[in-house]
Amino acid sequence: MRRTLYFLLGVLLVGLNGCTDKCKETRTFRQFTPRTFTVAQIRQGVQTEQPRTLVNPGKIYTKDGFLLINEIKEGIHVIDNRNPSAPKTVAFLRIPGNGDMAIRNNILYADSFMDLVAFDIRDPQNIRELNRVTDVFQNGQFDGGYWSLNAQQEIINDQKVEYVTQTVNTDCESSVNNGGCTNCFWATDMRGGIQNFNSATGSPAPSTNGTGGSMARFTLYDNYLYTVSQSEMQLFDIKTPSDPKKGNKINMGWGIETIFPYKDKLFIGAQSGMHIYDNSNPEKPVRMSTFEHARVCDPVVVHEDKAYVTLRSGSTCQGFTNQLDVVDVSNLYSPRLLKSYAMKNPHGLGIDFPNLFICEGAYGLKTFNASDAMKIDQLEHLEGFQAYDVIPLGKSLLLIGRDGFYQYDYSNPRKLKLLSKIPVQRPYPAS
Amino acid sequence: MKKTGSKTVWLLCLFALPLYAQKSPFKPVFTNMTEFGVLFGQVRYNVNTAAENVSKRQNITAQTFNGVQLRPKLAVGGTVGVDWYNAALLMPVCAGIRYDLAQPGQKNLRVFTSLDTGYGFAWLNEDPTGYETRGGWVIAPGIGFRIGRPQNANFILSLNYKRQEANADKPLGWNEIYKYENRVYNRIAFRLGVSF
Repeated sequence: MRRTLYFLLGVLLVGLNGCTDKCKETRTFRQFTPRTFTVAQIRQGVQTEQPRTLVNPGKIYTKDGFLLINEIKEGIHVIDNRNPSAPKTVAFLRIPGNGDMAIRNNILYADSFMDLVAFDIRDPQNIRELNRVTDVFQNGQFDGGYWSLNAQQEIINDQKVEYVTQTVNTDCESSVNNGGCTNCFWATDMRGGIQNFNSATGSPAPSTNGTGGSMARFTLYDNYLYTVSQSEMQLFDIKTPSDPKKGNKINMGWGIETIFPYKDKLFIGAQSGMHIYDNSNPEKPVRMSTFEHARVCDPVVVHEDKAYVTLRSGSTCQGFTNQLDVVDVSNLYSPRLLKSYAMKNPHGLGIDFPNLFICEGAYGLKTFNASDAMKIDQLEHLEGFQAYDVIPLGKSLLLIGRDGFYQYDYSNPRKLKLLSKIPVQRPYPAS
Repeated sequence: MKKTGSKTVWLLCLFALPLYAQKSPFKPVFTNMTEFGVLFGQVRYNVNTAAENVSKRQNITAQTFNGVQLRPKLAVGGTVGVDWYNAALLMPVCAGIRYDLAQPGQKNLRVFTSLDTGYGFAWLNEDPTGYETRGGWVIAPGIGFRIGRPQNANFILSLNYKRQEANADKPLGWNEIYKYENRVYNRIAFRLGVSF
C-alpha cells in the first residue's frame, strides 16, 4: 500500500512538471515614446510646488544645510538638511527638462531643456525665477531618452521614458537577449557619481558655492559657470550672479560625461578617457592632456596629485571593464596610471582624503583607505541597496541610489552609521 | 516553531530506527552508491512574443551517496553530486535515503527507491561577465535496480526525476535597468553506477 502511494506520488511529481525546463526571464527596460513640447510650454512650466516623493532621483547638490535632489527631467526636490538625522522636504521646484544644478550665493542655476535658468533661492518655500539664457543647449539626454531643440519652429522633440516589465520564457541559457543590445552604446547614464567641489578647493572669487558631484555636468569656478554637454563645454559669465551671460563654447570631442574642477584645473570625464584642462584663464580653458582608457563610463575625482577614476561597464556604458584606476597627475601634461583595482560595477565616487567612497551600483557602497595609492584597503562594504552617488561632507556622507537617499556618519570609516533615509518610490521592481 | 517540530520528528526517526534494528542481529554498516549518467529534458522558449521553439537537452550528471545501512532495506545518508547544465555547473548537496522495495524471485536483483533533497550550489560555476548564477532547492525521487549479491559490491541502474531550481542575474542591455532569470530544471536522469 505504502509503496503504491510512494510510486503514485513520484508519478504525480513528474506529471506535474514534465521533463521540461522552465526558465522565465523578467526584464525591465526603458521604452521611448516621441513627444513634442513648444518652447513656451517649457518656459511657463517652472513653479514651486508642494513637496513630493522621490521617484527617479538624479544628481544631488548641497549648500548651507540645504539639499537639492534632482528628479530626472521633472525638477528639484528642496530638502532642509540642517539636521542630517531628520531631513525635511520643503518644496518641489518644477523645472521641465532639468538634470543639473549649481548654486552660487543665493542663486541656483539649473538647466531646463534648451535654457539655463537662474533662481533666487533665499526663501526655499518661494523660489523665484530671475533670469534665463535662452536656446543655449541644443540637445541632450535624460535617462536614455534624447531631446533636441528645433529653434526655427520653437519646439522641443523629446522622448518620453516609460518603464516596461516583461516576462519571457527563455531556453535557460545565458545567451538570450531579447532585443536588448548588451554592447550597444549611445546613451550615457544621467545618474552617476558626485563629488565635493567646494569653493575651498581654490576658487579665487569670494563667493560661496555649493557642493555637487563627480557626475555633475555643471560646475562653478571664479566668475564662470561651466556646463558640459556630450561634445562641448559651454561657459556662462556670472560676474553678476543673478544675471548669467552666455560665454565661450569649447569643442571637446565626443562622449563627454562629467566635469570636476580641482584647483585651477578642470578634469573632464569622457567615454574614451579623462581630459585635463588648464583653467588659469577661467574664460578660456585650454586642453593640457588626455588620459586614455577603455571605452566605459568613468567619473573622476582628484586629490593632490592623484586622480581616481572608476570605469564601469553594462547598462548604458560600453565595454567590459569594472575597476578603479589611480592616476598620477603630478605632471598634468602626461598623466600616468599607477594601479588598477578590480571593482564589481563602480558608479560615483567621492574622496575625503584618506577616505575614498565608491558606489558599486547594485552591490552597495564600499569605503576605502586611500592613504597609499599602491595599496588601497577596503574598510567596509555596505550591501542591500543600490548606490549611485556619494558626497562626503567632512563628517556625514550623502548617498543617492535607486532605493533612496541615505545619510551616513563616517567618523569611523570602518563602521558607517546610518543617520537617515528618504525612500524612493520607483516605477519598476527592485533588482 | 514549525521548523523545530519537523527537526524533532527527524531526530526521533534517526534514534528510533536503530531501536527497531535491535530486534534483528543486523548491525548498521557504511554504504556507498556512486553513479554517473545523463539528465534528459527539453525546453520550450519564446523566439519572440508570439512564437515558441523547443530544444532538447542532455546534460551529464554524477553523484555519490554515502550513508549508513540502518536496516537491511534502509540506508540514510548524504548525496553530493555535480550537474553540468548548459549554462550552469551546479553541485547539489542533499540528504538522501535508499529503500529496497523487493527482491524478485530471491535472485541477485533488488529493486530500490531513492529520495534526495537539498540545495544545489553554484560554487563550481564560472559566470561570463555580467552574469551571476545562483543555485537553489533540488529534489530527486527515483527508482533503480541493484545487480549482485547483497553482501558484495553491486552494479546499479537507476531512473530519477530531478527538479533543480536556480536563478541568475543577467547583464543589462543599453536600455534595460533590470534583468533576472528564474530557472527550474525538470529532468529525467538515467544513471549507471556501483554500490557497496
